[in-house]
Amino acid sequence: MRALDFAIREGWASLWRSGGSGAFAVLAIALAMIVLGALLLTTWNVERVLAQWSSAAEFSVYLRDDASSEQRGAIEELIDQSGIVTARQYVSKTDALGRFRREFAELASLADDFEDNPFPASVEVTVNPIAQEDGRADALVRRVSSLPGVADVRYDREWLTRLASGLTAVRGTGFGLAVVMALAAAVTVASVVRLGLNGRRSEIEIMQLVGSPLTFIRGPFIAEGILQGGLGALVALVLLWLGLAVAGAWWSTELTLILEGGSLQCLPLRLCVGLVAGGMAVGGLGGFSASRHAI
Amino acid sequence: MIETHHLSKLYSRGLYALRDLTITVGKGEFVFLTGPSGAGKSTLLRLLLLQEQPSEGHIVVNGQDISKLSRRKVQEYRRGIGFVFQDFKLIPTRTVIENISFVPEVLGVPQAQQRRKAYQVLKWVGLQHRMNAFPHDLSGGEQQRIAIARAVASDPSLLLADEPTGNLDPDLSLEIMNLLREVNAGGTTVLVATHDRELIRLVGRRTITLEQGRMVEVA
Repeated sequence: MRALDFAIREGWASLWRSGGSGAFAVLAIALAMIVLGALLLTTWNVERVLAQWSSAAEFSVYLRDDASSEQRGAIEELIDQSGIVTARQYVSKTDALGRFRREFAELASLADDFEDNPFPASVEVTVNPIAQEDGRADALVRRVSSLPGVADVRYDREWLTRLASGLTAVRGTGFGLAVVMALAAAVTVASVVRLGLNGRRSEIEIMQLVGSPLTFIRGPFIAEGILQGGLGALVALVLLWLGLAVAGAWWSTELTLILEGGSLQCLPLRLCVGLVAGGMAVGGLGGFSASRHAI
Repeated sequence: MIETHHLSKLYSRGLYALRDLTITVGKGEFVFLTGPSGAGKSTLLRLLLLQEQPSEGHIVVNGQDISKLSRRKVQEYRRGIGFVFQDFKLIPTRTVIENISFVPEVLGVPQAQQRRKAYQVLKWVGLQHRMNAFPHDLSGGEQQRIAIARAVASDPSLLLADEPTGNLDPDLSLEIMNLLREVNAGGTTVLVATHDRELIRLVGRRTITLEQGRMVEVA
């Protein structure tokens, strides 16, 4: 405990004395943590939206214009008996045209030029999320596709899967970039700590000569690195929060549309804590490296 | 207390700082180590502090061969040794009391005990009124007294002093020697390296004379 107390006191004093170079190290860690934090923030929000969309995933069964009422009945019966459907709605050709006029008001005049209503009737089906995961929804789509009277079936699962794969690739690339930046930050911390170490040569020499335990000798340098890392991560979190607030205000209309009325969310507490811990670990690594190099 | 057996220290270009040195210093003894510059006095003290390793031979302190200690054991061994250097080696950014309490502090002694011990040794060297001064505010003699106070703050069984009066006038030198004699009277073994023959004569203790790394006289 006394070694820890000594390390924190001396580390803090050294950080304070280091002035501009200490601030530079904090900034380097903040930059690395901003890259990692922005990545986490983006993937966190995209995953949230994807989860929202996945839970509301639908498929649409488009009916042929010449489909009979018996064929439509057979289709709806198969859907109802599957046991995985949470909602089903029949959209007639007239309803589909009305929906087009409502949702694309600026193109509504085009519809007036149609000789016949080109929109097919359809059955919109919402399936429960578990059935999407275990493949039962796919099986139902295949069976419905083969029924007479069906022109086409559109299942939006595929592009969600593609989007999720893309997100994984983005996450991997971003994580790699963050690791490289974190290593660069650790090297910066090590250099700054080493600078401070040169100013404390006489103390270190005396500590070595009196037989001070290595934890007392190295501790302050590791503590200084950890403090720099923690401060850098906190700066990064504040800047990310500000960036999020600015983005939310700047693109409010677009975000409302994309997020279906929701808003961008800040990182959850566990990820914030993880980010600060990561910054401290990077700083501690730099401090440890400096202490090993010098003593 | 201290035994060296055929101790040699060879530097690069075949230059011996110490050669085949075998000496014994008994527990509680006060011994001078003398000789001209380059005789090997400081080298022997550095070897005893394990700042350097011998090229040949062994050093036994308190029955323990210190030539092959691990890094952790070296630190443990040094806790029993006090040191005083010609250039004082005080920390310029710390006050007098902080310089002294720094030693027990980095040895993990509780804070109240650190302060008590520091004040006690400061009072012993008669500088308690300068406890909040910084080293650069003190004279050479005062700085060396602080260095001695710091050396005894950890109650060492062995005190090594390398030219402790090298920067001081004769009166102050004798004052410093009197402090070292008091330390010795308390049971601490004291080994002082000096080339000041007059001071040795005034103090009058056993003297080991070195020349070119070899022992040439014991008086």
